[in-house]
Amino acid sequence: MDYQLTDEQRIIVDTLRKFMREEILPLEDKLDPDAGDLEPEDKARLVAKVRDMGFYGLGIPPEFGGPDLDTTTQTLMAMEMTQHRAGLYNPAYGVFGGAGLAQLFEATDAQKEKYLYPTLRGEKSTFFGLTEPSGGSDPARAIQTRAVRDGEDWVLNGSKIFISGADRADFGLIFARTDSDKGRGGVTCFIVDVPSPGFYVRRVVHTLRSTRYATEIQIENLRVPDSNILGEVNKGFAIANDRLTRQRIPYAAGCVGVAIKAQEMAIEYCKIRNTFGGPLASRQSIQWMIVDNELDIRTARYLCLDAAQKADRGEEFRTEAAMAKLVGSEAGGRVVDRAMQIFGGYGMTKDFPFERWYREMRIRRIGEGPSEVQRLVIARDIIGGAFH
Amino acid sequence: MKVLVPVKRVIDYNVKARVKADGSGVDLANVKMSMNPFDEISVEQAVRMKEAGTATEIVIVSIGPAAAQETIRTALAMGGDRGILVKTDQTVEPLAVAKILKIITEQEGADIVILGKQAIDDDSNQTGQMLAALLGRSQATFASEVKIEGGKAEVTREVDGGLQTIRVNLPTVITVDLRLNEPRYASLPNIMKARKKPIDEKTPEDYGVDITPRLKVLKTTEPPVRTAGVKVESVQELVAKLRNEAGVI
Ligand SMILES: Cc1cc2nc3c(=O)[nH]c(=O)nc-3n(C[C@H](O)[C@H](O)[C@H](O)COP(=O)(O)OP(=O)(O)OC[C@H]3O[C@@H](n4cnc5c(N)ncnc54)[C@H](O)[C@@H]3O)c2cc1C
Repeated sequence: MDYQLTDEQRIIVDTLRKFMREEILPLEDKLDPDAGDLEPEDKARLVAKVRDMGFYGLGIPPEFGGPDLDTTTQTLMAMEMTQHRAGLYNPAYGVFGGAGLAQLFEATDAQKEKYLYPTLRGEKSTFFGLTEPSGGSDPARAIQTRAVRDGEDWVLNGSKIFISGADRADFGLIFARTDSDKGRGGVTCFIVDVPSPGFYVRRVVHTLRSTRYATEIQIENLRVPDSNILGEVNKGFAIANDRLTRQRIPYAAGCVGVAIKAQEMAIEYCKIRNTFGGPLASRQSIQWMIVDNELDIRTARYLCLDAAQKADRGEEFRTEAAMAKLVGSEAGGRVVDRAMQIFGGYGMTKDFPFERWYREMRIRRIGEGPSEVQRLVIARDIIGGAFH
Repeated sequence: MKVLVPVKRVIDYNVKARVKADGSGVDLANVKMSMNPFDEISVEQAVRMKEAGTATEIVIVSIGPAAAQETIRTALAMGGDRGILVKTDQTVEPLAVAKILKIITEQEGADIVILGKQAIDDDSNQTGQMLAALLGRSQATFASEVKIEGGKAEVTREVDGGLQTIRVNLPTVITVDLRLNEPRYASLPNIMKARKKPIDEKTPEDYGVDITPRLKVLKTTEPPVRTAGVKVESVQELVAKLRNEAGVI
């Protein structure tokens, strides 16, 4: 499919591409290969610029001050913003802002005042605490953290693992079991302030990611007021799940962006690198790597845009989002891997972004629902629930 | 005061141009195209003049294929008011462009035409000067600073070895150099507004201009590849090489 961009989408993509080329890449060149952030003054300057451009707060609904852009346009933007070394997990170093915890748009007015608005202003940082040591693929069943009512409060006990950024957060969401129902019907979402007595970040769990490590959380007799329940009691899992579905499209688009950049670099390099008396580009085995890259990229891009367009039309897009997430993360990994092979020894060095993409891309097949779970979702949708 | 800004759709400055196998020109198949970077500077200059209250209307014009409509739309998103697309799939040489622009300038009653000093595809650096001559107007080329005051334009020009400041009477033709300004990023509200701005579609015939190429391209070649350097053992050897081989001292 040659997806036809509207005039607006094309100008937005062109503008963004220029912004990345002229504002982000020159700064990144001077940073450590594993750096997670820009210098604070550079970041502040670029945030101001993005605000002037009217693009600040990507992913925030317009009624909360975000730019009025449909999912398709945001998907196209995600494919541009990720085309740099730190792009997979920190697109454009965060100068376009972002929604943080999208669940908070469902919050009560008082909760919005206290938690949502400061987050949107960039004053508070957050975490999303769903996964537990007992398993993340099927959190509805695996959640063992319990919350028991005690007067106006709820008392929580349990533990969470792989929770990104909990050590630096001002508050976050903790999903806990509030009912004897063993499945999704018994889970409630609590907003938890940090620090709070009984809330402990036990350790940092180092992973393949250069920065932004995950943490392990211990919860012991943590008291959370009833007013801090997000949504309704026993209805918390739907809140988690909705975000996970929507999140899959930009998550996949990020993988596609990195793959596009890796491919562009591989094509350029294979034309100038000579071995055995000729350029790599003249070797069929190299040509086929480039072709396979292109197939991977186009397939993944198509699936992302297909899911985004369904979402924009207000249609059910769970199957499409799962397909995009699955193919985006797996194809992205293959493309980076082939590009590294074409670059030979240089591909292994930190002089190029490949090694960082290679490590971080690997996480994409696990995070936000592993590949197997995406397949499971797709199977359920196309075969039917009865066989699950 | 009405300002006319011509913009050209060219190969993106970030793309490595490749010569077609038969040497007839540069391969443009599947290549990213953008607005000529000098023209972005012209548009920015016009928009700043409008913001300062000097200009009242900015008309964007492009002569080229249907896709040049995109280039006009981009200029409208930066702040142009309306566009004119003179549609043709032929190569249009500087003289033909200047002839068409002359008629548009007169029809529109534009007081100032702001062009890029050259387009990065053919680097001709001719259109602005030809247009001024055809219109019988003053010209201020290679501008790195422009001040409009009391029916005159004071323009600082980048000339060999320094800067030259001249004053020209309006109406005039200005061509801009790289250092005049830093073009803005189109803002989201302006990108959305650009959709509703009108673009008139015309053809060279509408202006009665014969655009048949007068020039013949004999050959297009890749630039020569830089050859490897050599290491010299001593200062004496270096001096000898500079004198005998390079012939520079
Ligand atoms: C860097 C990083 C950051 C993270 N950040 C967060 C965060 O901020 N918040 C949060 O809540 N979580 C976070 N996670 C957790 C992540 O979502 C989980 O790791 C993920 O959901 C998988 O859960 P698990 O590790 O318990 O694997 P398990 O559920 O134990 O699964 C193990 C393997 O078995 C496969 N599998 C499971 N069920 C089936 C089946 N039925 N059929 C076939 N195969 C199956 C899985 O796909 C997986 O490959 C993060 C993880 C990482 C690595």
